[in-house]
Amino acid sequence: MDEQALIHQAQAGDLDAFNTLILHYQDSVYNTALRILGDEDLAADATQEAFISAFKSISSFRGGSFKAWLMRTVTNACYDELRRQKRRPTTPLEPDTDDGEEMDSPRWLADPNMTPDQKAEADELEHALQHCLNNLPVEFKSVVVMADIQGMDYTEVAFAVRVPLGTIKSRLARARLRLRECLQGFEELLPASFRLEEGTSI
Amino acid sequence: MNQRDLELLSSYLDGQLKPSDSARLEARLSTEPNLRAVLDDLRSARGLLRQLPLRKAPRNFTLTPKMVGKNPPLPRTYPAFRFVSALATLLLFVTLGFNFLAPQMASQAPAFGMGGGGAPDVYSAQAPAATEAPAATEAPAAAEAPAAAAEMAPMSTETLSAEDAARNAVETPVEKNGVTEEPGVLSQGQAPIQNAQPVPAEAPRPVPPVWQFGLAGVALLSALIMLWMRQMSINRWRRK
Repeated sequence: MDEQALIHQAQAGDLDAFNTLILHYQDSVYNTALRILGDEDLAADATQEAFISAFKSISSFRGGSFKAWLMRTVTNACYDELRRQKRRPTTPLEPDTDDGEEMDSPRWLADPNMTPDQKAEADELEHALQHCLNNLPVEFKSVVVMADIQGMDYTEVAFAVRVPLGTIKSRLARARLRLRECLQGFEELLPASFRLEEGTSI
Repeated sequence: MNQRDLELLSSYLDGQLKPSDSARLEARLSTEPNLRAVLDDLRSARGLLRQLPLRKAPRNFTLTPKMVGKNPPLPRTYPAFRFVSALATLLLFVTLGFNFLAPQMASQAPAFGMGGGGAPDVYSAQAPAATEAPAATEAPAAAEAPAAAAEMAPMSTETLSAEDAARNAVETPVEKNGVTEEPGVLSQGQAPIQNAQPVPAEAPRPVPPVWQFGLAGVALLSALIMLWMRQMSINRWRRK
């Protein structure tokens, strides 16, 4: 895929070229939205909104990392969604059972390629991680999702969230620390290599 | 753990420290177990996040033209036709206006030049109507008194033709009496005087009508081609 050529074509109004870019990046963009919002449906809506917004404003793209530019768009869409949630009653991120209790291992996070046991464990861990991510302030969450889940470098993250590099370093460090503290509550779910040793203090 | 050390450790983890800062931190790590423990925590958190499975998008998020409110892409030649159509229309109106005003201007010139003569006044009052009337019906009247007209109503410019002079002669009885016929008496086949709107056979038209027909044709044809192009584009756009 010649990304630059496709971007130029999209900037000239070629929707097919932009759709080719969408097919290439949609998983990354969707996963970013999913981890920031913690809900599949909201993430899908935010992803769609982000791509629409991206196409409409693609003429403003002046080069650099196209992925980072897309991440900026989806982050904005997620912030908009979170603001909307604040203005109206929200649905719980963890689905409830018929009895009204929160599901420990919700099917909405399930991966169909695993054995039942693996799936259960992965579900639990993923659920725990998502729970801890949800507890982070959104400005920390977007940084840690892009840096640690999407594997973007500091410069790209700084471009995506429009803050200085120093702020990215600070937010990332604090986000990781908060996540680690939160995950201590799910110690039994963590792989042995990730468990904290007794007596470790932060 | 202060904020500065936390940032240093996190950046060190990602290989974002300068070599000198990295060496200093490594020296501290070898002597400060607390610092090392925090580094392990940060590494652990980062490792867990990296293990999160990348979920496949639940559907394709490709866009349709309707979703982005996009107009159908028009052919590259479309603007050229638009320009031609606009230019032809503009020129058409300019030439129409020019042709309409030119006779008036030409008729006003002798009125001022005659210094109060009767015949030019009559002509000038009827000139606008004369330009619109069919010339064929007035031809006989014009032919009846060319000499008298030439004698009694000399024109100060060359724009008035023999027919104009004849009309003047017909409409000014005193001048005509001795030459041909009584006022109000019409020869056979002649139209009534009040309806007679003599038009110069060679009316001053700076732009020939054929040009105007041509311009109108070009404007219309261009507009039709544009309409066809747009319709074809919309049809292609809807099929996508």
